[in-house]
Order: sequence, then C-alpha cells, then structure tokens
Amino acid sequence: MNERSIFIKAMLNERKDILLSILGGFLAGIFGVVLFSTSGYLISKTVFVPPLYTLIILTSLVKILGLARAASRYGERLFSHRATFSLLSRLRTAFFGKLVPMTPRILNRQRSGDLLARIVGDVESLQFYFLRVAYPPIIVVSVFLATVIFASFFSIWIALLLVVGMVITAFVVPAIVRGSQRKADGRVRKQRAELSAETTEMLQGFIDLKVYGRLKQREQKLLDTSDALTAAQQEDALRLLRGQSLHSFITFFVSWGVLVLGAYLIVQGSMAGVFLAMLIMASMTVFDESAAMATLPAYKRDSEFAAKRLAETFDGEEQEKVEPSGMLDRGQAISVELQNVTFRYAEDWRPVLSEVSLKLDAGSKTAIVGPSGSGKTSVLELLLKLHDPTQGQVLLNGMSAADLNDEDLWRKSNVVLQEGHFFRGTIRENLLLEDESRDDRELRAMLKQVDLPSKKLDDLVLEKGENLSDGEKQRLAIARALLKSGRLWLLDEPTSSLDYVTERRVLNLLLERSKDDTLVMVSHRLAGLEQMDQIIVLDRGTIVETGTYDDLLERKGYFYEMKQLEQQMVGEDFTDRERESGARRSG
Amino acid sequence: MKRSEKRRSNRKSGMLAELMAAQKKRTSMLRILSLALGAATIGQAVLLAESVQRIFVENAPLASMIAVFAALLAVMAVRAWLAYANGRIGLRIAADAKRDLRARLLRLLAANPLLTARQGQTGGKVSVTLDAVDEADSYFSQYAPKMAEASIIPLLILVAVFILHVPSGLILLFTAPFIPLFMALVGIQTKHKSEEKFEQLARFSGTFLDSLQGLVTLKLFGRAKRQEKEIQRSSLSYRDATMSILRVAFTNTFALETIVMLGIGIVALELALQLVVFQTMQFHTAFLILLLTPEFYNMLKNMGTAFHGGRTSLGAIRNIEAALTADASSPLNASVHAERSADAQAPTDIKLPQSNVVSLSAGRSAKTSLSAAPPVIELHELGFDYGADTFVLNAGSLTIHPGKQIAIVGKSGSGKTTLLHLIAGLLPPSSGKVTVNGQSLAAGAGEDEWFRQVSYITQHPHIFSGTFAENIAIGADRDVSREEIVHAAESAGLAALAAELEQGYDTLVGEGGRGLSGGEKQRLALARAFLKRPTVLLFDEPTTGLDLHTERILLRAMNELSRKATVITIAHRLHTIRHADVILFMEQGTLIGGGTHEELLDTLPQYAEMVNIGRQGVGS
Repeated sequence: MNERSIFIKAMLNERKDILLSILGGFLAGIFGVVLFSTSGYLISKTVFVPPLYTLIILTSLVKILGLARAASRYGERLFSHRATFSLLSRLRTAFFGKLVPMTPRILNRQRSGDLLARIVGDVESLQFYFLRVAYPPIIVVSVFLATVIFASFFSIWIALLLVVGMVITAFVVPAIVRGSQRKADGRVRKQRAELSAETTEMLQGFIDLKVYGRLKQREQKLLDTSDALTAAQQEDALRLLRGQSLHSFITFFVSWGVLVLGAYLIVQGSMAGVFLAMLIMASMTVFDESAAMATLPAYKRDSEFAAKRLAETFDGEEQEKVEPSGMLDRGQAISVELQNVTFRYAEDWRPVLSEVSLKLDAGSKTAIVGPSGSGKTSVLELLLKLHDPTQGQVLLNGMSAADLNDEDLWRKSNVVLQEGHFFRGTIRENLLLEDESRDDRELRAMLKQVDLPSKKLDDLVLEKGENLSDGEKQRLAIARALLKSGRLWLLDEPTSSLDYVTERRVLNLLLERSKDDTLVMVSHRLAGLEQMDQIIVLDRGTIVETGTYDDLLERKGYFYEMKQLEQQMVGEDFTDRERESGARRSG
Repeated sequence: MKRSEKRRSNRKSGMLAELMAAQKKRTSMLRILSLALGAATIGQAVLLAESVQRIFVENAPLASMIAVFAALLAVMAVRAWLAYANGRIGLRIAADAKRDLRARLLRLLAANPLLTARQGQTGGKVSVTLDAVDEADSYFSQYAPKMAEASIIPLLILVAVFILHVPSGLILLFTAPFIPLFMALVGIQTKHKSEEKFEQLARFSGTFLDSLQGLVTLKLFGRAKRQEKEIQRSSLSYRDATMSILRVAFTNTFALETIVMLGIGIVALELALQLVVFQTMQFHTAFLILLLTPEFYNMLKNMGTAFHGGRTSLGAIRNIEAALTADASSPLNASVHAERSADAQAPTDIKLPQSNVVSLSAGRSAKTSLSAAPPVIELHELGFDYGADTFVLNAGSLTIHPGKQIAIVGKSGSGKTTLLHLIAGLLPPSSGKVTVNGQSLAAGAGEDEWFRQVSYITQHPHIFSGTFAENIAIGADRDVSREEIVHAAESAGLAALAAELEQGYDTLVGEGGRGLSGGEKQRLALARAFLKRPTVLLFDEPTTGLDLHTERILLRAMNELSRKATVITIAHRLHTIRHADVILFMEQGTLIGGGTHEELLDTLPQYAEMVNIGRQGVGS
C-alpha cells in the first residue's frame, strides 16, 4: 500500500530522533525496574545486617537511578514528540505533492471542502501512529526482554513467567480488545456522521420542515440519533475500560505468580530468599511500562482508518499520466474550438454540457451567458484542462487540448475564476507573480487601475481572503490576471460583485489589455456585453443562441427574454450586492 | 435588565453543578468504591509484605502459605474489579451528561435556527453539538472518578504509613505537595506560552488546509511546487513553536519525576538506616512501606493528569454553556418579554396611506377558527431585533385582508426577509405581535393549525434525502396517493424530470441521491404547494439565474395558487410589484409605506427612485 510506504519513508527520514526516543524510553524503563528491584534487594539485605558501606552504595545507586530515569524520560519525550511533528511535516508535503497532479479531478463540486478537511484530519491522526501505535510495543518488548534476562540470572522459571505475562499484556489483551471492537467497528463513526448530517439538514431545511409541520418529528429523530450515538460511544469506552481492567488484573496476577513461584523455589532451595522482594518489585515495575498498550487498540484503529481512507482517496487516481508536450505559440492569439463536446462531472448523474460545438477565432471577444447551472463555467474548465470532456474534443490553435502541456497552457492563460483562492500572506504574495522582477511601483499602479488604491502591497490577507470583501477579492483576482502575459483570457463572472461604474471601468481595462488576444468571459449580467464580438447563450448544457448583442436582441429569442427579465429587476443595486454577500459570508 | 444578566451568570456557573447534582447517587457511589479501592490497595501491599516476611525471614513452609496466597489473589481481583466499577460509573455519568447536553443543544437548534443563522453560527452549532460535547466527555468519564480516587486513596495510604512509621509518613507528607504544585506549574506555563504563540500556531496549522483549498489557483499560476516548500517550512516552524512549549512542560515533568524518585529514594534510605543502624524496624514493615510509597505517588500523578484532561473538557463545557445561554438571552426564549414590552412600547409613528386593504391597526376581528378561506393577518406594533446585532426591524401595525396580493419591496438588507419570517411566525417578535384571525401567533398555540395553511417557497428550497415522491409528499400533512403526487409534479412542470430519473418518482434525491438544479428545486417547492393548496402563500422571488422554463412555470403556478390564497411575496420583479394589491416598502428595517404601485410612486420618492434605478441600471 502506498500510504504505508509514504509513512515508512517518512519514519526512515526521522530515524535519528526515533532511535534516540526509543533509547530514552528503553533506558527510562530499565532504570525504573533496576531502581525498584534494588530497593527491594536493599531492604531484604538488611535482614542480614550487612556492613554500612554496602547500604550507602546501594542507596546512592537508587538515587542516581532515579535521576537517570527522570532524565531519560525527558529525552524520550523530547525526541519522540519532535519525531512526531517532523513526521507531520513530511506527511503533509508528501500528500500535498500527491494531490497536485490529481487536482482538480479529485475535487467534485459539492464535497471538496469536506474532502480537504478530511485529508488534513487524516494526515494529522496518521502522525500519531508512531507515538501511540508503533512506539509503545517496541519499548514494552525491549524493557521486558531486558528484565527477563535480568530475572533469568536468579530463576529461569520466573523469567519464563514474565515472558508469558509480557505476551499476554502486550499482545493477547490488545488483540482481545481489538477483536471485540472489530464487531462494532465504525458504529460510532457512522452514528456521528449521521447525527452531523441530520443536524445540518435540519438547519438548512428548517423553514420547509416548520412550514410543513415536520419539525417535531425531525427533532425527535435527531434526539434518537443522538442517544444512539451516546450509547455507541459508551459501549466503545466500556470495551476499552474492560481491556484496561483485564490488563491491570493480569499484571497483578503475574506479580502474584512471581511471589508463589518464588516461594516454591525458595522452599525447594533452588533460589535464595533475599531475591524474592527484588523480583516482586521488578515484576510490578516492569508492567508500568505496558500501560500504554491498553489504549493502543483505539489509536491503532483510528490511524488505520485514516490510512485506509487516504489510500481510498489517493489510490483510485494513481495512474501515472505522461505530461503531453504540446506548446502554444506565445507570438499569436489563440483560437478556440469545441467539437461535439459532452461533459459530465464524475459525481453527477447527467451531463452539464451536451454536444456543444463552438468556434472562437483568434483575437475574438466572446461572452457566454445563461441561467445558473447551464454549463457556462464548465466550458472554461474544459478550456483550462481542469476537466477532460466526456466526449468530443477541445482544440486550441487547432491542437487537441489533450496533447497540450498543462503548465504551458496555464502559463499562457490569464484566468479569473469565480472562486479564486486567496492565501494567508500579503497582498503582494497573493498576486502570485510568476515574474518576480516586477517592481513595487508597477504593482501599486496595477492596484490603482483595478480600483484598489487604498490597499498596500504589504497588507495582510487572511485564509481564503476572509478579510476582503467579495468586490475586493474580484478586483485583486483581476489584477492577478492582468499581471500575467498570456494570450488567452478566461474570465468567470469577473465583475459580479462590483458596482456599475467600477464594473464598466474594469471591463474596459480588460478589453483594452486583451485587444490582441482571445477573450472568453462568462457573465450572468447582460449589461456591458455590447462590446463583445459574439455572445453565446447556454441553457441546460446546450447552445440556444449565438450572435452579437444587437443580433440577439433583434431576434427576440432567449437572450431577449433574459434581457427583459433583467430589466424587470428592482431593488438589487450592486453596491448592495457586495454588502449582502459580505453579510452572507459572516452569516 | 441587570437582574436578568445576573441570573444568566448564575446559570453559567450552574450548568455543571446542575449536571453533577443529577448524579448525586453515582458520585457518592464513586466515593464509596474509592474508599474500598484504597483499602484493597493497602490490603494487597500488606498481604504481599506478609508473604515475603514469612517465606524469606521466617522460612515458613509452603502449605501454611496457601491461605495468604489465596487471600492475596482475591484482594488483587477485587482491586481490579473496583477500578473497573469506578470507571464504569464514570462512563455512565458521562453518557447521561452527554445525552442531556446534546438534547439541550438540539432542542435549541430545532427551536429556531433562523436567529442563530443570523449570528453566523450555523456551522459552529453543528460542531458544538458534536465536537464540544465529545470533548466534555472526559470531565465526567475521567476527571470525576479519578478525582474521587485521588482525593481518598492517597489519604488512606498516608494514614497507613503514619501508623506504620511516622518518619516515612512525614517524608511522604512533605514531598506530596510538590506534585500538584509542579503539575499546576506545567499547566500554567504551557497555557501561558501557548496563548502567547496561539496566533502563530493557528497560522501554521492553517497553511496546509489553505494550500489544499487553493490548489487549483496555485496550479493555474504555476506555484504548486513552491507551495510544497512553503508547507514544509510552516510545518517545521509549527514543530519548533510547539516543541518550545512542550519543552517547558517536559522540564517541569522532569523536575516532578525527580522529586518522586528522590522521595522514594529517601524513604528507602531511611528505611535501610532504621533497619540496620537503629534496628528499630521489622522487615515486614519496611517492605510494606516500600510497596505503598510508589502507589501513593502514582495516585497523585494520576490526579494531575486527570486535572489536565478535566481542564480541557471544562473549556468545552463552557463553550456549550455559552451557546446555550447566548440563545436564551436572544428573543427566542423571550416570548414573555415580548408580550410585556408590547404593552409598554409607545406606538410607533408610521403613517401608512389609507387604502382598502391596509387599515391602521384594525380592531380585533371576530374570533373565527381557521378554515379553508384565507385568514385575516394583522400586525400589531410589530418590532424585532437580533439581540446583539445592530439591525432593528420596525413594521408597525397593519391588516392583511384575505385573498390579497402583497409585495414586500426594498433594497437588499432592508429587512424584507425578516418581515416575511415574522409574518410567517418563523421568528418570534421582540415586541408587538402577529395575529391570524385574531389569534396571536407568538403564544405558540395554534401554530400547527397555522402552518397547515401556509406554503413558503424560499429562494433555495431544501431537498431532503429521500425519494422524489417523498419530497413532494412532504407538502401534505396527510397520506397522499401516487396520483396526487404525480398530478402536483405535472402542475409544477416536473413531469419531464421525473421521466428522466431512472427510477422515476422513486429515485433518491438530495444528499446522497440525485442532485437537482436550482430551477428544479424551485419547481419541486411549487409541487409541494400544489399538493398542499395553502390559503396563505409566502414567496421569496428568485433574484437571478433561473432558466426561462422555470421562470414561466413559476409565473403560471403562482397565478393559479394565488386564486384562493393570500399571497405575500418578497418581490424583485416589476411585474409582480405592479400587480400587487398592496406594496409594502421597507427601508433600513422600517416599513415606511404601503399602497399600490401608483400610490407609492406619488407619495414615496424613495420608492420611485428605486423602481427607476432598477430599470435604468440594467437597461442602459
């Protein structure tokens, strides 16, 4: 499995910290055992009234051991945690690297937020695999073995008893817990997901539920689901508790065994009585180390689940794609053609585009309009190779898009996405310059041109551009596109949150800057399209009309009706639009 | 006002106490079991020491030991069982508490999410019901039983050691306070330091998700490779920042363990001296003390660990409580308050033009029961605010006569939706009331009957997970035949879609099923209304983006449905507005005028301006 190999590789890279933490853990365990057995021995020895100096040596030894134990624990904690966080870093980079070539195919439209949050969470729970799953058995076994060797000097039988105890506590008990867990596996997770989904559905469907008198019923169902979750969680915890109790009883039992066996051996005369207290203390201490084993099954289950889910996410898409080598000529504008293109999102049940054919000349300016869900955005996504057509083909400069090199295509396109992403960082960083040589004066002039004169290049942008209004984000996205030098402009509703005056100015700026290039703009407003060479009207995935603004109005068809409808709209001026979407974002 | 605030803060500290008070029986059981557990712990040590004494010092024959061995094994079994029993009680307390907390949160959510949605917490609410409640778990399941054990058992051991040998007892007594002290120190320092670095930590951990979310943009701008390095850099910085916090914690733990070890060492040394030099002590006693000492320290350490866990979940409990009380203070639970202030508030000074449909605060109409005919809807000095929010709605008084077409008009953010929600009885008024045929909606009674007559078509109708037919049938509050469903679907222009779905009306739609487009959802909501045949139809007109097909069906269906119903529409289309019997014009939360299109054009310059802007803006 690939995820495991990523993990193992990451562990190998951190081997120094890992080995040091194992060493620390081992020493701490051993020192503890020696410390307590020495105390036991010390006290037993006093029965024979030994010379004082042996006692002084022994007690100093006890103290030194105590200090050494605490110090090795410190080292163990430090190194194991550092290793864990370094692993996290390596895992993140590794999975990010894996995700890059799979984007955006892997992201379907509705659930991508979930998916990404899940990947983040899964990677995080994987990081603890080392600390909580792989690490404890190593320490338990090594400390136990050392103790067993130590005990075997005094009695081979007691040593054997300890081995049996180790096998039971470190392997049998966790296996029993794991076994009983397996039966109920995923129940808590399933119930939890169900409760979450139902709660969300209730919140979203509140008005419909209330008006249709289904709210009480739904509330009861939610409470039932919640109770079922609580019961499942309780059962789960009870299983773990049973494991822990079994574990502690076994440790008691082994110490008892050591006592009884030791007593027998002493009576038999095959072991000196002075060692009895020492061996009992040793056996009681050595089991302290295995306490982490009792909770191991829970962590093991979680991280294995995470690994499995990551594997499912990533392995399905594993086929190595050979990067095609086709390049677009920078010296000329790019012509665009769609031949009988049908496109369906992987998770959808019907196509968003059905047998669409269109031809856009090099240097032409085209607007695509239509109601929401008509497939406008999908056309741009296909042109950008963010998705591949289900049928038919996309041609750029007469070359099939499938043969074009992705990165070359993107370098030569100036894109404004509807949901362009903004990162945590400065405005300057968010302009995502490919060419770092642009000086600040030029950048400031650009901000001014897109009507963002008040923004400084060093102003902070938060995750997802949270501290920017929708209008500001759009203007920044436009600036980002204007700073590129591609010959194909692909703009998805670039000005939908701007007021009329700004919109007009920004559109003019875009048209002027792209006058020698090909431009395709998706628009849901019909104003300002007079300047376009061609308007394509889409409805439910097919082209219903094509022509210039005047042509279409004259034809009195779909476009004309949309225009009529738009003129009917009252009360939505677009400075409000920005405010409203701001409120929606915070709401 | 002050009193209510005080009451609230009392409640705040009270929730946990209240939850624990309900568990009095179990908590006293915990204490009794802990006492027994302490006894078993000491008993085990006594029997163990006794055995070694007899075998090693007194050279007792094996046969005489059988009883002692059996007793020891029994005590060990009892000890394991007692620990298990204590844990199980903890789990039961936790389960009860969680059930209770979730139920409270869910009831609150179900009561009225429209209020909380406005406060921007919808997503957060779900996570409070799930994550915070789960986080609260360990307070009840771990902290409570561990604290019971830790407050009883070490004391028992200490008493036992004192009885056996006073100097050893004194050593334990003097070293013991260092453990909670250092534990607290670890807590305080790490908390301090992590708060200091919180911003930094949040930034680091956010980068990964941020990068994943922006991956498409990064690829388009050729920055994916560079971002990979950025992730590595920020993850490593995160590691270093976290490690610097942990190092403090580890150093303190180191000091703590040193103290424990030294404590044990000193006890051992002192015992040895007593045994050898002064010969005042027996082996039996010395060994027993040596066995009890680590148990004593372990218990104290457990207490510290439990305390840490308890603090984290205490934070979660506080979050839950905040969520619960924040809503308790909002108008949601304040219907009493609403009634009271309705009387107290002076009538607002709104001049609505007289017309045949809107009359200023008509007297209580005769109390007729709701029937198939549309009811008279009256607003009485209706006011609303979202608590902390600055938005205030003031709708004054008016009467909506049966069968009329009402359009609510205004800029976005002017309070149109809030007004419609108030009229629908989906939001409780902060002041004044809405009556239907003279009966108040706010009282809660008759709510079911009212909603039986109402259909509300929102801009984004919700599709429930279930079949296509079930989603339509939700419109009726009775059993409906398949024919009726099909008929309603046909009226709403959904016949073609049903034919397209592979299992027709039995196809699963919504979450986990077939996705529907915006236009299809609108039509589905219409089909629900066709099935219901409401006498009051509430409608939030789509602002943009509907396909012309849906557009036409909507228009036709609205005409048909409105023939026998009162229709109240949030209107965005001039067509709808012109044909309305009454237009209610909202500005900044206030209903500033009502009348027909022509009347408002004459009397309200703001209205005239808005209608004109709408036409010019798009038309030019």
